[in-house]
Amino acid sequence: MADIDAVMLDIIKGHAIGLTSGPTRETLITDLGIDSFSIVEIIYEVEEKLSIEVPFNANENPLGNMKTVGDLIDAVKKLAGKE
Amino acid sequence: MARRVVVTGLGGVCATGANVAEFWANAKAAHCGISRRTLTAEEYSLTLPIAPIDGFEARIEGLGRDIMRADRFSQLAIAAADEAIADSGIKFGDGLGARTAAIIGTGIGGQTTIEQGYVGMMRHGKRPHPLSILKFIPNAPASWMSIRYGLKGPAFAISSACASGAHAIGVAADFIRNGGADAALAGASEAIMTYGALETWKAMHILSDELCRPFSKNRKGLVIGEGASVLVLEEYEAAKKRGAKIYAELAGFGMNADGKDMINPAVEGAAGAMKLALSTVGAVDPAAVYINAHGTGTLLNDPTETKAIRETFGADADKLVVSSTKSMHGHLLGAAGGIEAIAAIKALEEGVIPPTIHYDEPDPACDLDYCPNAARDRRIDLALSNSFAFGGLNAVLAFKRVH
Repeated sequence: MADIDAVMLDIIKGHAIGLTSGPTRETLITDLGIDSFSIVEIIYEVEEKLSIEVPFNANENPLGNMKTVGDLIDAVKKLAGKE
Repeated sequence: MARRVVVTGLGGVCATGANVAEFWANAKAAHCGISRRTLTAEEYSLTLPIAPIDGFEARIEGLGRDIMRADRFSQLAIAAADEAIADSGIKFGDGLGARTAAIIGTGIGGQTTIEQGYVGMMRHGKRPHPLSILKFIPNAPASWMSIRYGLKGPAFAISSACASGAHAIGVAADFIRNGGADAALAGASEAIMTYGALETWKAMHILSDELCRPFSKNRKGLVIGEGASVLVLEEYEAAKKRGAKIYAELAGFGMNADGKDMINPAVEGAAGAMKLALSTVGAVDPAAVYINAHGTGTLLNDPTETKAIRETFGADADKLVVSSTKSMHGHLLGAAGGIEAIAAIKALEEGVIPPTIHYDEPDPACDLDYCPNAARDRRIDLALSNSFAFGGLNAVLAFKRVH
């Protein structure tokens, strides 16, 4: 699902102040420089742009054990029922 | 003996100044920040005189990413706090941060966020932004300050409508006085320049449809302004020890409630709060007293406040000078007591009384010296800042020069 990849990379790029260039699937989430505010905003944008609902609790780290941007994209694809 | 509390830093922003230096220069120059503007929300619009801050948007990015995502009332507060901290030279390392309070008043909170969220939700079926709550909660400025500067002492918002700022400063000083903190950022912020908020204020039939003319017989009501101010308060001995510039001592604080009426002010309440504030300042020459009045320019406030000043000072009321700087910067509502405390402190520091502008018709019911239309040089030993809120809540700050 290339479109979800593109949408996700674009959303993450808007929040990844830790990066000097655009994120890729291989980029580590810890390198993005995102804070608790950004995580909530990213999820909101994902929900708006992909018309899906992401179940999460703002007091928990919704990224769980994900390590790379690719892990995050795959999780979103699963929610979107496209994988 | 109780600890003494001094002011060592000032920061502020409102229609008549992007910072304290500009605000004070404009106050002395009798500059008016009020103009007729149109506020819109989709197909609705309202045109009325207000005192908005122009050009603040250009400063927001410089406040950093966190604050870019905050509501305007937090952004104004942080701009004021950055200025006050730089002005005071205070450093929060070496454990002082753990002993520093952040107490910031607001009448409403994040009005812009609330209104935009509701319009989107109810008119366009748009889901609210998930961070809306964190943007509009009244304690957001205090929380951002605690995070930004590493302050871990008492931190919260105070809300008492138009007395919020004075209450915040007075309560913060009490914490220091009683040992609950060694320093504080204290002040207030208000930013409600939205169509919905102003239409709601208009419904109360208390807004002027032209200028704000406190104590003048042709006064028509108040004019809404916006802004924030922050004072750095410190325990006197500690401030002296670090060689801080000391603007003034917060020598008195009086607060009470009328217990009478939500709209109409009471002479006894206002006078009672002034007397409480004066009870700890000691002897003072009445000719060297300046009162920065609540002076809203409404039909009822101004004569009531005049009577309260007469009841408090007796015959000495004719020797002191009163002025309302709201005639220039408008009514900052919850933030009024903060910016006006700065006006009082600068007046004390420089020996210049800022004027009540647009004063052109004496009112027999307002018969004090209101320093009309032009600033006046005068030795000031004691400066009071009055704040009297809707709901009958009164707070008076008394600043004295430190000898």
